[in-house]
Amino acid sequence: MNVELEVKNLSFYYAGCSEPSLKNINFPIYKHKVTALIGPSGCGKTTLLRCFNRMHDLYPGNKYEGEILFRGRNILAPEVDLIELRTKIGMVFQKPTPFPMSIFDNVAYGLRLRGIKNKKELAERVEKALREAALWDEVKDKLKESGLSLSGGQQQRLCIARAIAVEPEVLLFDEPTSALDPISTAKIEDLIVQLKEKITIVIVTHNMQQAARISDFTAFMYLGELVEFGPTEKIFTNPEKKLTEDYITGRFG
Amino acid sequence: MRERVFKIRKLTSTSILTITGLCALWGIFWLFFIIFDVIRHGIASINLSLFLETPTPPGEPGGGLKHAFIGHFLITLGAISLGIPLGILAGTFLAEYGRNYRLSKVISFLADTMVSVPAILIGAFVYAIMVKPLGHFSGWAGSVALAIIMFPVVIRSTEHMLKLVPWTLREAAFALGAPYYKVILQVLYPAIKMGLLTGALLAIAREIGEAAPLLFTSFNNNFLSYNMSGPMASLTVTIFVYAMGPYDYWHTQAWAAAFVIAITILILNFIARIILKGGKH
Repeated sequence: MNVELEVKNLSFYYAGCSEPSLKNINFPIYKHKVTALIGPSGCGKTTLLRCFNRMHDLYPGNKYEGEILFRGRNILAPEVDLIELRTKIGMVFQKPTPFPMSIFDNVAYGLRLRGIKNKKELAERVEKALREAALWDEVKDKLKESGLSLSGGQQQRLCIARAIAVEPEVLLFDEPTSALDPISTAKIEDLIVQLKEKITIVIVTHNMQQAARISDFTAFMYLGELVEFGPTEKIFTNPEKKLTEDYITGRFG
Repeated sequence: MRERVFKIRKLTSTSILTITGLCALWGIFWLFFIIFDVIRHGIASINLSLFLETPTPPGEPGGGLKHAFIGHFLITLGAISLGIPLGILAGTFLAEYGRNYRLSKVISFLADTMVSVPAILIGAFVYAIMVKPLGHFSGWAGSVALAIIMFPVVIRSTEHMLKLVPWTLREAAFALGAPYYKVILQVLYPAIKMGLLTGALLAIAREIGEAAPLLFTSFNNNFLSYNMSGPMASLTVTIFVYAMGPYDYWHTQAWAAAFVIAITILILNFIARIILKGGKH
């Protein structure tokens, strides 16, 4: 198994906080696997996820310590080109975030940012992304309609299509199904399992069953610390730490 | 005992209702009185030659206000092209790039204050910075004065609209590797385009009826002029001059011009409201 991302001694401070929100975290993220980050609210799982594409840099005063190695390069280094980084490490958010433009333009957005102007190439790659996001059949006749006209579940798949259109190496999911109904959730879970053939996936989820269903590895976090990391099967059936077991079995959280 | 309490409450409630109702009536009465008066006199005096003919020599009835309509249109056009783009850009700075600076909050506060600065003060200011150094009144100076009046309205509406856009939408665009200016131009502006349009319309409605700032800047002109670098007639200043003038036909023409301006403002506000309502769906 190849390691795609390696978190090394990572601590993170929000602006104005002397206490770190992430405390000395170490674990690997394996290539073309699904890694789930679980833990109670406020444990830092979303904070950790947002380190991988340096989303915290949008807000001044936030501070990283330690390293995240992406193919041997530390992506937390100040000289890293964030635009290039975010090209390789995409993100899908909790609430669907379609842009106020047509379905086609939504998916083409990232491609156009990369300077792809050829109409034929754009059309091909938009179709490919929409097919991979299992949305093509539902929208192929109305690509010119606004992305906002779709249902919540469709909007979220549109956002996934938009993220995979640029062929990222890693895709980060921040509770992608928490705002969706069970049918849409099932579709997105199927999609994530299919996507891992080509893309490394990190997913934050509050839904333990979801983590058990779709992930290969699970990291359990508590109060900004990584309590336990391992194969999902082991975490859910035979955890090493008492805290993990208590959380998995619903005794707190 | 309890009955007395209820009686007092009922009495208080009725008297407050009466007082507030009468106050509202007082305000609305004058509002309707003014609008009705403008419409009554305006409709009676409006005719095609008002728009198509230039003024006759003073004292000779007839003619029209073509010069003032054209002057007003050109000055307003100049004000729009100066005030709206600058206002949108400044509002964008306050809501986006500058959102973490204390300076932005100060500027927002000043913009709020500027909305209620007397318009004649802005006229005097532009007189001092443009008319005096250049040595003559000009349409451009009028445009600048009106643009300054529109400026804070556009700034605040732009800032307000941008702040209503959820942050996740920006983050989604950043997460695709978009630079900030592209996020603003391609994602945020389309998201608030109806709001921007509404803000612009309200700003135009705000400045289009101003006479005071034009008195010191574009001044007046009795002849038709397309030259923005020279003094220019405007409807509002013409109304002022004609209403004070000695001739009856001047008074009628002033009423007609006031009617046209009032209707224009009404329509602008009306469209802005429709857009705002439509945007909520």
